Formats: sequence, C-alpha cells, structure tokens
Amino acid sequence: MPLRAARVGRVGVIGHPVAKTAVVAKAVTPGPAPIAKTAVVAAAVTPGRRRRI
Amino acid sequence: MTDTMTDRSLDELGPVDYIVVEFPAGASSFTGEMAKELLALVDSGTVRVIDALILTKDADGSVEARELADIDELGPLQAVEAQLAELLAAEDVENLAAAMDPGSTAGVLIWENLWAAPFASAARRSGGQLIADGRIPIQGIIASIEADEAATTEGD
Repeated sequence: MPLRAARVGRVGVIGHPVAKTAVVAKAVTPGPAPIAKTAVVAAAVTPGRRRRI
Repeated sequence: MTDTMTDRSLDELGPVDYIVVEFPAGASSFTGEMAKELLALVDSGTVRVIDALILTKDADGSVEARELADIDELGPLQAVEAQLAELLAAEDVENLAAAMDPGSTAGVLIWENLWAAPFASAARRSGGQLIADGRIPIQGIIASIEADEAATTEGD
C-alpha cells in the first residue's frame, strides 16, 4: 500500500542513505566462547569499574 | 505532524532516535514479544513513539513502504499507531532502506526519549550545549576489553 499523502513532497529528516551497522547478535553469539564474551561485555559496563589511565 | 509534537515547547522535547530492524528473508518470528516490550516502554513513559514504517526490499532492490495502520491485526499496537506523528517523509524511505539487504523486511521506529528530556532541559538551562552524541557498538566494547586483557596477560 502507498504511503500516506502527508509524507509525499515533504523534506525528509534522515538526509542521507543509511549505512548498515555491524549486526550485534553476530558479535555476541557465535565464536569460540560466546558466554565468555557476554560476560566480558557485562563486566565492562559494571558499576564501579574504573579505567586505568 | 500532529499537535502532540508541535504543542510542546522545543525545550521540553527529548532526544529523538531511530532504528531500522531488519528481518532477513525467512528469519522473522513474530510472537508479539517486540510489541509487548515496546508498549511497556511507552506505558512507563520512557519513550514516545513518533513514527513507524514497515519496509520491504525486493531481490531487485525495489522498496515498498507500508504504514503501521496497514498491518492486519495490530493488536495492542493500535494504541501506539493512533499517536504517530508521521515525521518521516517519502524521501526518507529510500535513505533508510539503503541499509537493508535485498529480500529482507525491516521495521523503522522513531521515538522520543522522554526519560532524557528533563535532563536535557536542565543542561540547556545551565548553559550547556550538546556538541556530540552517539552509540558505542558492543563490538567496540569487546575489542577494548579483550585488548586490555591481552595487554595485562603480556605484562604478567
């Protein structure tokens, strides 16, 4: 079905072709140690973790 | 655009984000779980859904866009659909669909982060100006932590 008429002829808000981002699920689920990777990410965002610089 | 957007002061408007969620051909499994979680965010006042479209990209790259209202049996999402502001223009469709693979279907969602609006207003009243924002990909976090751990191991 076509888009509503109100959408036609208006200036868009996106402005440029959108590039595909890396698919997050593929980074977390496969691989040699998916559970470990999930734990790594969780640890990285755990409250209280401090950078070492 | 509806009055719900124009009647509010710009100073009270929260940041507006969008996502394009792609479902590769044959990979979609709609159980209502996504709708349930979206409604929970709306009902809790965390977000306000501004616009939504369903895009289909054929094997030849041609794109069809459908309004949420054109979907049969919207169910509880009817309440969300009734409040849409139709922010996206027709020319946005091609730009958004550029990220899609041929043969896929995608849902486009635009929402206002209501949770961030009071903080953003306070920052502006304090003289602050938003000069950068963005999202850190999970891959980036993994790479950073793994590099950190590798450096630690080498140092042992």
